[in-house]
Amino acid sequence: MEVVLKNLTKEFVDRKGNKTVAVSNFDTVIPSGKLIGLLGPSGCGKSTTLYLIAGLHKASGGQIFFGDTDVTNLAPENRGIGLVFQNYALYPHMTVRQNIMFPLENMKLPRKEILDRTLQMAKLVDIDKYLDRKPKELSGGQQQRVAIARALVKMPKVLLLDEPLSNLDARLRLQTREEIKRIQRETGITTIFVTHDQEEAMSISDEIIVMSAGEMQQKQPPQEVYDDPANLFVAKFLGNPAINIFEGSIRSGVLFLGETKLDNSYEGEDRKVLVGIRPEAFIPDDKGQLEIVIAFIEHIGRDISIIGHAKGLESKTRIIIPAEHKHLQEGDTVRFNYRSKYVFEVDGKRIR
Amino acid sequence: MIEDKRAGWKALIALAPAMAFLLLFMFFPLFNTLIMSFLERFRFKSGGGLFAWNQSFQSIGFGEYLNVLRNPQFLTALKNTFILVIVSVPISVSLSLLVAVALNKIKRLQGLFQTIFFLPYVTNTIALGMVFKVMFSTNNGLINTILKAIGMAPVAWLTDATAAGYWSALAVITIYTVWNGMAFKILVFLSGLQSIDKQYYQAAQLDNASRARVFWRITVPLLSPMIAYVIITSFIGAFKSYTDVIAVFGAGDQVYGPPGSPFMWITVVGFIYKSLKGGLMLPGSLARASAGSVILLIIILFFTVIQLWVSKKKVHY
Amino acid sequence: MEVTELYYNDPKEIRKFKIKTIVFQVLLYLFLVSVAIFILIPFYWMIITSLKTKIEVDLMVPTFFPQEVAWSNYSQVFTQVTLFGRYFLNTIFVSVCTTALVVFTTVTAAFAFARLKFKGKELIFALLLMTMMIPGEMFVITNYMTVSVFKWTETFQALIIPFGVSVFYIFFLRQTFQQIPNELYLAAKVDGIGDFKYLWKIMIPIAMPSIVTIIILGLMGAWNAYIWPQLVANNGPLRMIANGLMVAFTTEFSSEPQLQLAASTLVTLPLFAFFVIFRKYIMRGVSRSGIKG
Repeated sequence: MEVVLKNLTKEFVDRKGNKTVAVSNFDTVIPSGKLIGLLGPSGCGKSTTLYLIAGLHKASGGQIFFGDTDVTNLAPENRGIGLVFQNYALYPHMTVRQNIMFPLENMKLPRKEILDRTLQMAKLVDIDKYLDRKPKELSGGQQQRVAIARALVKMPKVLLLDEPLSNLDARLRLQTREEIKRIQRETGITTIFVTHDQEEAMSISDEIIVMSAGEMQQKQPPQEVYDDPANLFVAKFLGNPAINIFEGSIRSGVLFLGETKLDNSYEGEDRKVLVGIRPEAFIPDDKGQLEIVIAFIEHIGRDISIIGHAKGLESKTRIIIPAEHKHLQEGDTVRFNYRSKYVFEVDGKRIR
Repeated sequence: MIEDKRAGWKALIALAPAMAFLLLFMFFPLFNTLIMSFLERFRFKSGGGLFAWNQSFQSIGFGEYLNVLRNPQFLTALKNTFILVIVSVPISVSLSLLVAVALNKIKRLQGLFQTIFFLPYVTNTIALGMVFKVMFSTNNGLINTILKAIGMAPVAWLTDATAAGYWSALAVITIYTVWNGMAFKILVFLSGLQSIDKQYYQAAQLDNASRARVFWRITVPLLSPMIAYVIITSFIGAFKSYTDVIAVFGAGDQVYGPPGSPFMWITVVGFIYKSLKGGLMLPGSLARASAGSVILLIIILFFTVIQLWVSKKKVHY
Repeated sequence: MEVTELYYNDPKEIRKFKIKTIVFQVLLYLFLVSVAIFILIPFYWMIITSLKTKIEVDLMVPTFFPQEVAWSNYSQVFTQVTLFGRYFLNTIFVSVCTTALVVFTTVTAAFAFARLKFKGKELIFALLLMTMMIPGEMFVITNYMTVSVFKWTETFQALIIPFGVSVFYIFFLRQTFQQIPNELYLAAKVDGIGDFKYLWKIMIPIAMPSIVTIIILGLMGAWNAYIWPQLVANNGPLRMIANGLMVAFTTEFSSEPQLQLAASTLVTLPLFAFFVIFRKYIMRGVSRSGIKG
């Protein structure tokens, strides 16, 4: 079931009449059967968008389609969605089985079918051993699986997850995100999840939608979002450690970093620009274009992390190179080349 | 080591004021009253001091208990009290629960309603009891006027000394008790309802649950600790009925009924105080009152224990 | 395998839904208004009856609004029962003294239970909690005897001293004290502030709303006192207001409903005023007693 958002807008008006635009002109098609990650910092509107798709928020403008059906004005319980809340919202007084059964009981299905489906779903999320426990007896990861089972048991057209991994500790997060991916693959349900953690989004999504300040910044498979950011925001948001941003300039079509010539064939008038180079994109090269003075070296096992200073530039540079270069010392001046760079206008637009 | 010693000493000082009062007016009396109940034909002896066993009494035994249990007035009081409890507690608790749930669902005027519903709590029981007496007055009371206006026969609510009058008086007492008691219960329920995380309701909405299902499968279970607390305290309070009853008959602190049957609605506590009226000097009166209060204690403990046991099974914490 | 249906896109269904919602809300309000009327009627009746003349009160068909407003009923209350004003004063005096005493014992005891460590703390506290279940009658009987032994009958001491402690308030304040973060205590300790100073300078100010609640509830408590004063201090000049009312109802005002209810109104008004001013504290105190049931 594909989800189509057309010009979706959501405004909140507080008691004094002040308007906040949470989501603005969101326009996209979420393909059927895929796992999509809505990624962005706090307050960017991703949870709001999720709730709009769910129907818990009413759209201020625009439309939402599930397949061919316009669900914009449909109540949430009539859209055929399953929602996993950030805090799971498992009914504490019911057992796992009763929690999962609850949606089915409301649909007035025959008892046998209810029990069968519940068991089937519990097996799918691997929680069938705990069917008679109460939520508070389970770990965070287990509780979440119950929440997923409860959302899936009514065979929704779309599955929505609000920050599914934020409440888990680091070890569980890795485990659980694999689970989510597996469950999505096995059921084939169109799944949208919200997160602020780019590693999470990158690791399991078929496609990532990056959001900032209520607007969609980019929508593409993870590696492309990473390698080919649409704008400065996306470039800075993805990547750990974060991308290095340098102040550069274009003069007569030539790109300069300080006084170092990097590249030519740029169009447009002379102006200041921003150049982004990811830490792992640096390659030590005696004939490299960039001269870096090493201020600080960290050996972190597999890699070496260098903090240095590009000659002629003010900004700090962070570089990650494989550990074989361990001969480098603090104070050395080393020449580097780079695998790839991104150039942006000062307002963030990408210059390709 | 020094820490502990000092802390113990400090605690002694801090607790001393409260403990002094508690020892003298709570722990000692508990003990003393209990003992007194076993001292047959107990009588205060001047110069006997504080302790019951230093006073004058005939013998030790269950004599006074038997006096109480065989006393027809006590048995009436027992019956009356039980009826009051069985009738007033369910009505009071369920009505309050419904009001609280309704209050929780409306958006405007919540504050105004809350204030109105709370008014009975800040009133004087004796003062308002008289108001009810006047409202239910047989000749020209408000209630009878309304009944006549809609074509029904007036009722001698509080003045009928016959069997019918027993039940009409029960109605008035119950109405007054419920009127008085709702404030506290509504407040407790309301704050309980407001503490239920809205996400449960959102999840239930997404699961297509009907209003009734949401109420019975989610609201009530999540509210069950408050419900248990209110039921238990209401039970205990109803067992101790006294002021409500005399307030409604408004004829003095030993009048529990209409003229002609002043002990019609005597309660267990009423019986205890009636015994106390005998005073310190009347042989047995204090002991009888003590025995009565111990019996009351046993009844209350019994029912409370049962309720706690039930709540262990049905209440979800 | 899709089980959900689409309705609500159909305008007829939308209308049905909207109507159902409105009807439900209307029913809710109707219910609440009925209950509110049930609660308010006695007050209404009390006030209008208190303002009727004796003749009007005795009419076979009562009026719903006094035809002749008899403000004199109120002054009559004071003139016919000369001690009425005295009853008020007694009650105020007792309530202030008792409250002062209670606040002192409550603050110190709650402090001990919340902050200090000592042997048997949990046990003693559990014992105290259990006493809350015991019917007051068990205490009253011995206290009655104790008060006679101390020769306190018909004195103010009898009305005040036995009520110098309330386990409920100790429980209530201990809860509040426990919510003060431990870090504050440790920081104060590092600064060399002793326990009692900590109580005075830090805990009490932070817990002030709860203490105010206790003060207010305590002041209100004396207003309803009936059983105990009746037992130990029921002579005219010493009477508390509830007892005074009952006596007046049965003697001076018997068969004068307008005077009875005027007296009732007089007794109710101060409490109302109190409530209006301190509403938040009162309601918060009462509802908190239910949370940890």
